[in-house]
Amino acid sequence: MRTPSDLQRLPANVGTAALRWGSDWWRVVHFGAQLLALTLSPATYGRRHRPALARHIYLGTAPNLLWFSVLSALISLVLIRIVVVTAYSYGLSQFAIQLVVRVLLLELIPTTAALFVALRSTIPRGAELAHMRSTRAALRGEPVLDEVLPRVVAGIFAVWTLVAVSCMVALIGAYVMVYGFAVGGFATYTRTVGAVFSPEVSMIFLLKTLFLSLAVGLIPMAWAWTGPWRAGSAAGRELQVLVRLFVVILLIEVVSLMGNYY
Amino acid sequence: MDDRPEHLEAPVTAAAVPHLALKATLLLVLMIVLVCGSALYVMYARGVFEPTQRLVLIAENSEGVVAGMDLTFSGFPIGRVRRVELGPEGNARILIDVPRDDAHWLRTTSVFTLVRNLVGGTNLRAYSGILTDPPLEDGAVRTVLGGDATAEVPRLIASARELLQNLNVITAAGSPLSESLGGVQSLTDKLKGPGGALGVLLGSDAERQKVLLTLDRTNALLARLDSLAARVDGLAAKTDSQVFGSNGVMPEARATVVELRGLLGDARASIKKVDAVLQEAQAVGANARVATTDLGALRSEVDASLRKVEQLINEVNRKWPFARDTEFKLP
Repeated sequence: MRTPSDLQRLPANVGTAALRWGSDWWRVVHFGAQLLALTLSPATYGRRHRPALARHIYLGTAPNLLWFSVLSALISLVLIRIVVVTAYSYGLSQFAIQLVVRVLLLELIPTTAALFVALRSTIPRGAELAHMRSTRAALRGEPVLDEVLPRVVAGIFAVWTLVAVSCMVALIGAYVMVYGFAVGGFATYTRTVGAVFSPEVSMIFLLKTLFLSLAVGLIPMAWAWTGPWRAGSAAGRELQVLVRLFVVILLIEVVSLMGNYY
Repeated sequence: MDDRPEHLEAPVTAAAVPHLALKATLLLVLMIVLVCGSALYVMYARGVFEPTQRLVLIAENSEGVVAGMDLTFSGFPIGRVRRVELGPEGNARILIDVPRDDAHWLRTTSVFTLVRNLVGGTNLRAYSGILTDPPLEDGAVRTVLGGDATAEVPRLIASARELLQNLNVITAAGSPLSESLGGVQSLTDKLKGPGGALGVLLGSDAERQKVLLTLDRTNALLARLDSLAARVDGLAAKTDSQVFGSNGVMPEARATVVELRGLLGDARASIKKVDAVLQEAQAVGANARVATTDLGALRSEVDASLRKVEQLINEVNRKWPFARDTEFKLP
């Protein structure tokens, strides 16, 4: 039970916590901006750094690609089936494809791919970085260019690749579920997809994928490299990063929804 | 405080993945191909690569019309709305791109409709009744006809409200219908009463008694008529025997008719004989007419001979010395 002195100190504690929260996020954002600038710099992709980049790109994407594609295809087929059957039962079959494309391609797949890459790749790589930082194992040479930046680029690349592959799988799955293996519906299907992807929606989709990939690639690494050392286990820190990343992903999703539907 | 992680994944080296550079390059190429392919597919689906012509539809309002929606012809999309803008006269201008390949379905006499459905989206439809008319030119401006299903709803509600008000007036207490129903109720009560339908029709019990008395009398009259009819039946039987019996009127009449037929045959034979006599008389008449004609010619010849004789006598008299001098000589 709190004593009156604790209650009197509560506003001060809240202020201190908010200040600390703000400073932590500022460091992360600042370091993330620096990483982004380095990512856009051609010198980052010089011959010396290519092996590390290739290794992280391959290890961050290839092991996840097959699993995520299979998982995404299964979930997509189930959702497509549900949407198509429901639309047909209500006599709204003409909207089934639009609904499928909107729900899957625009909303679910980018977010799911970002979360999958975060859980399977970037957060564990961030934990590696945190461990290196704690053991001073990677501080020789250019640690940011050698260790941090390849992981960031790998995370961004993995999100884009998984989104592209999953969208293609979902598009093919939706066509097969609606028209079967007949090619006669291709023109109508293409026209419907084109109607969904208006310039505004396409731009929001690209921006959403871009910001998701940046968040997934940058936040775990920046937090691991610049974050404060506080009490707690490594698993606890990973969970903290996951929660912060999840909040950012949620914010991006909300903003994209507002852009699409308001 | 040192809180280093208790465990860490084994560091991955380049040697652990064979052909790492090649695989990474393949992944990069795959990602680029997929992203660029998706972008090209979306551009193709949006009709970026197909040549189009512009069609402008003028509507009263642009409600339900959005960029990207289709213009359909016989259920097939043949055009796509590119932009919707407010016209200078306050109406909506719907700018539609129609691919050149599909533009031949639109003719100068084509009709365009904008239908807003209760459920689902708005539909832009084109109808071309005469496909041999000249094709629609590029940049053509046409007025779109409205087929608003929702516009009927307020009218429908107003009609329904009016109907309900009428029903309320009809079914209200003291309304003609309820009074009529009350009248029907009292009528049925009277019908169930001792007077029955007759009492309802005649109004009073006395009148009903009169009708009943009339009915009784009518029954008695009918009984008498029955007996009369029986007597008439007997009379008819007797008449039948008198007329059609073996010694009745009819057999005798038949025999008379036979005799008349024989008399008529004799008369016909006599008439034939008379006819023959008349024919002979006609022939005689014809001969007499011919003879009369011959007599005329003979008479003319005799007249001519007499005239010649007279002329001869006159000539003889003139030339004869004993001729009288008929001339008077004046002194």
